[in-house]
Amino acid sequence: MSENSRALKLAEANQKLANKRKGAKEKWGIVLDTSKCIDCKACTVACKMENYVPVGFYNYRIWVAEDTHYAKYPTVNRSFQPSQCQQCENPPCVHVCPTHASYKTADGVIMVDADKCILCKYCMTACPYDARYESHTTEAIDKCTFCYQRREEGKDPACVETCPPKVRVFGDLNDPNSEASRLLAENEYTVLKPEKGTRPKLKYIK
Amino acid sequence: MSTNTTTMDVFAKNDKISNIWLILTLLVSLFGLYGLFSVLINGHEAYGVTRTVPWGILISTYVFFVVSSTGLCLVSSMGHVFGIENFEVIGKRSIILAIFTLLCGFGVIALELGHPFRMMIYNVISPNFASAIWWMGTLYGIYLVFIIIEFYFLMNHNHKGAFYAGLGGFLAGISAHSNLGAVFGLLEARPFWHGPYLPIYFILSALISGSALIIIIFFVAYRSPSNMPEKVVKVLKSITKIFGFLIGILIFFDIWKVITSIYGAPPEKFEAVQTLLSGQLGVNFWLFEIALGMLIPFFIIIFTKGKNIKASLVAAISAVIGIFYMRYDLVIAGQLVPMREPAPGAHVQGALPNGLVSYTPSFTEISIVIGAIAFCAFLYLMAEKYLNLNEE
Repeated sequence: MSENSRALKLAEANQKLANKRKGAKEKWGIVLDTSKCIDCKACTVACKMENYVPVGFYNYRIWVAEDTHYAKYPTVNRSFQPSQCQQCENPPCVHVCPTHASYKTADGVIMVDADKCILCKYCMTACPYDARYESHTTEAIDKCTFCYQRREEGKDPACVETCPPKVRVFGDLNDPNSEASRLLAENEYTVLKPEKGTRPKLKYIK
Repeated sequence: MSTNTTTMDVFAKNDKISNIWLILTLLVSLFGLYGLFSVLINGHEAYGVTRTVPWGILISTYVFFVVSSTGLCLVSSMGHVFGIENFEVIGKRSIILAIFTLLCGFGVIALELGHPFRMMIYNVISPNFASAIWWMGTLYGIYLVFIIIEFYFLMNHNHKGAFYAGLGGFLAGISAHSNLGAVFGLLEARPFWHGPYLPIYFILSALISGSALIIIIFFVAYRSPSNMPEKVVKVLKSITKIFGFLIGILIFFDIWKVITSIYGAPPEKFEAVQTLLSGQLGVNFWLFEIALGMLIPFFIIIFTKGKNIKASLVAAISAVIGIFYMRYDLVIAGQLVPMREPAPGAHVQGALPNGLVSYTPSFTEISIVIGAIAFCAFLYLMAEKYLNLNEE
């Protein structure tokens, strides 16, 4: 199967799955402990493989940015900030999309219906996290879906599953007993750009 | 009310339009075909837009065209909608150019959109009423219908019809255009654009574009003031004064936009405005936007007191060139501050050492822009040559 048709097939399957899961009660989120990140970038590779993200340096759904606020010698350290679509509870990309191509599933995942996307790129200018790109395989805007295809089997997203030091913990934030909720209850955490009012579901442990 | 129009009234040959200009504008617009084929063959890879600057010169040119269209409609509505008698002579010419600029704007944005035909379908069957682009597109569609009807009534001397269609066009145009401002103004992510300023600013600058273009097209129609009927000279003098006054207001708007963007160095706004004041858009800003777009026309009109309409023509041409750059600066500057710090591994596309990103229009994009502008001029010259656009 060609790269294009695999990517398209996956996008279509995810739309169907989102329709099927209309009654879902979960609120998926990822809790990240960036102090564990070793910058191996396995998550970015796993994401590309799992989701047929097209080849190209700027075609990506997730990234690992180096923290540039270096300490001074002799107390040097290096740290990294892995990130992706923040799966906002108040998503600007969904508000601005003229055709409802960008939408939020019942379980709170922001997805793009490739059939409806007109590639006006309004969502790209609206996203405060630069989490979207124009995919030439689906001929639509593409972004992280929390590997929605894995929801049925209950598997973790590829980036979570592959991470050697377990930086990311994926779970239902509505379920107080999930590991993610437990981590949030036990630790102080923050989100990226809280001032934008987007209420991200990617939570960073301080 | 008379609708018994003979073809004699609708068609008339204007000998002042030379074929050389028609051929020249047509040839230059063929240059746009290069861009068209380039994008049909290579897809959007042929554009200079990036992940961080997804809106480029095609968006700003679209804005330029629709600003012109709205402005022409708003200024001409002073005649047949608001009943200022002097202004009735500008109706036909303004509205036909408003139609052409809007169509050329639609053409440019159709090439910028990845799926223009899909847009027509899903705008109807899956509308998002919370989206400013949806409102902008839909209202401009309605506006186009109104101004076409308005033009039909004007050509048929149906004043009552022209009044109602003109009123519809005025309302649709002003709503569509302020929604275009809102397309940018509603983006919380982009502090340089965010807020109520842009919808208001867009209406103001539309009036300026409209006034300037009306002055230019009357020179196209009559070549020189000596050929113009007294009524036309009179209305051009009035429009010049309005034009000068509005540029004065625009200068005031710009000064406060800059001050509020640098005072206390508000995050992201400050960096964006620095790209205009001293950064990569500096030449565009000072030379084109400020000098050609505002200061030169403003002082020409002040010093001639608006009485010398030849000078007004110079002011108008200068302003239209400046306004083209104004649109570009506005669209690009708002995106030059990346949404993520361009740290190693962040893969921020187009990142510069100063922490900002860059955008350069590609040859394909530029050829589409030049082609569209030339084609718009060609269409207008054809209309001017073969239609009876005189009001008397």
